[in-house]
Amino acid sequence: MTYELIAILMFSTMMLMLMTGQRVFGAIGFVAVVSALFLWGTGGSDIGFAAAMKLMKWYPLLTLPMFIFMGYVLSESRIADDLYRMFHVWMGPVRGGLALGTIGLMVLVSAMNGLSVAGMAIGATIALPELLRRGYDKQMVTGVIQAGSSLGILVPPSVVLVLYAMIARQPVGQLWLAGVFPGLMMAALFMIYILIRCRLQPSLGPPLPESERRVPMAEKLRLLRAGLLPIMIFAAMMVPFVNGWTSLVESSAIGAMTAFLAAIFKGRMTKKVFETSVRQTLAVSCMFMWIILAALGFGAVFDGLGAVRAIESLFSDYLRLDPWTTLIIMQVSFLLMGTFLDDTAMLVIVAPLYVPLVGALGFDLIWYGVLYTITTQIAYMTPPFGYNLFLMRAMAPPEIRLRDIYTSIIPFVGVMIGALALVMAFPEIALWFPNYVYGK
Amino acid sequence: MLLLQATGTDVPVIFVRFVRLVDALNYRVGRFAMYGIFIMVAILLWSSISKTFFLPSLWTLEMAQFAMVAYYILGGPYSIQLGSNVRMDLFYGNWSPRRKAWFDSFTVLFLIFYLAVLLHGGISSTSYAIEYGERSYSAWRPYMWPIKSLMCLGLVLMLLQALSELLKDIARLRGETL
Repeated sequence: MTYELIAILMFSTMMLMLMTGQRVFGAIGFVAVVSALFLWGTGGSDIGFAAAMKLMKWYPLLTLPMFIFMGYVLSESRIADDLYRMFHVWMGPVRGGLALGTIGLMVLVSAMNGLSVAGMAIGATIALPELLRRGYDKQMVTGVIQAGSSLGILVPPSVVLVLYAMIARQPVGQLWLAGVFPGLMMAALFMIYILIRCRLQPSLGPPLPESERRVPMAEKLRLLRAGLLPIMIFAAMMVPFVNGWTSLVESSAIGAMTAFLAAIFKGRMTKKVFETSVRQTLAVSCMFMWIILAALGFGAVFDGLGAVRAIESLFSDYLRLDPWTTLIIMQVSFLLMGTFLDDTAMLVIVAPLYVPLVGALGFDLIWYGVLYTITTQIAYMTPPFGYNLFLMRAMAPPEIRLRDIYTSIIPFVGVMIGALALVMAFPEIALWFPNYVYGK
Repeated sequence: MLLLQATGTDVPVIFVRFVRLVDALNYRVGRFAMYGIFIMVAILLWSSISKTFFLPSLWTLEMAQFAMVAYYILGGPYSIQLGSNVRMDLFYGNWSPRRKAWFDSFTVLFLIFYLAVLLHGGISSTSYAIEYGERSYSAWRPYMWPIKSLMCLGLVLMLLQALSELLKDIARLRGETL
């Protein structure tokens, strides 16, 4: 049997096993160890455990539990509630202003945590009911929250970029900096869309009624203080890191501690909040770690087969495609896969296949990390699988029906694909900042 | 005969005991590992403090890594109990509980096989580490056998939990809940 055939067989078996609904890490790990045993006999039996040692030695992975913890502390303790009030009062009088404010809120929440869960929780439980009560269109609102919270994985700190960094063997710091401007650009694009849409159809996002607008200036200024919290947490993490006093991992621990202390000082760290955040951190970290463990084993077998080179030669020698066409085909197929697979499964597929291929084609892997993350964001929001879709269904009030959730994302996915195209066409959007900071 | 003695249910008593014991054990271990997050935070904070104000500590980096490994390996079985390990639910999500149990009781064997191979590799790596006094290649040079043994222990617990899940699924197929 040729190696190409084995590689295809491994892949199709894995997909089949995933469909059975067994835990993802079990399915992937099984295919990995069985093919290792088949290929290399008893010598292949160490591959699974070797992956565990590799995982241990990969220092930046420690940021993962830190950021998950931070995200849960923020969303469970609801210390970000005041932030919403701030945007509410300041943006309310504008047409569609509360929706714009929600995007702003999501950007700030994204700067404090690395997944979309916290943004979803804050958006769906605080912003959503308020916006509905003010007569905002429910599809507009649902879309805003899903799209906005997906920024959590693009704006640093980002857990998805940490995982990507491990697979692509790229520095996390540069990847994070590369995510800053695409993230802000995407938020701006969302805002432009909302502004235009609300100008054309004012009924979608009415400005606040006169009675609610009359907030005394002193109160308005007092609410601005709420904005200090995310800035403080972000600064506590990023200042020591950018100045080189601490490593990325140490900074993430400082961030986790700052969020935890902030919740205590605000009197929000109740027993229940503590229990939920600590338990969920374990649950989610374990989920990620075991999948990475299995995926590393799978990737090691794939590397051993030289499967990536075979696929690369398929594209460049056999099909005679130039690198850009290949990249675009890859990205389109990735988007399609994203609609069917969840993000963890995608990571596992992208890991051994796409990332080395992109590197072999001569593209910048930092830049590709941003493309990868944007694609993952889209995957988060597209049915039938989407992290954010599920979270939305679980958290949204009952008057939001599944149909609303599904149709609400369409315009925002359009905007995101536009952003993806922009970053592809102008890599500088992502790359100038890390290049500037690291002085390349 | 004692092994097949009825427990008011169809399920042999030894299986019931096994499931209860394993679930209780892994619950305790998991609840203990859960607080590991604070150990990791503490180590990393000490690392940044000592680096900024005193001499950088040699041991923090590896100690944090060891803590992380212990965290997810020992926490693994509890995360299975919490049902937090994602599954692809393209089809699975729409199945009846009975059908889920049918599929799971077969496919969990894949999981068990994977864990067994992991454990096999772990044991050979640990016995090597003990025999030759393997140390890490770093300035601190910690011995590797303690963490490796801990990993093996975690894998054993994980295997026990997978077996317990299998028994629970079989019981579910016979209309019982363990």
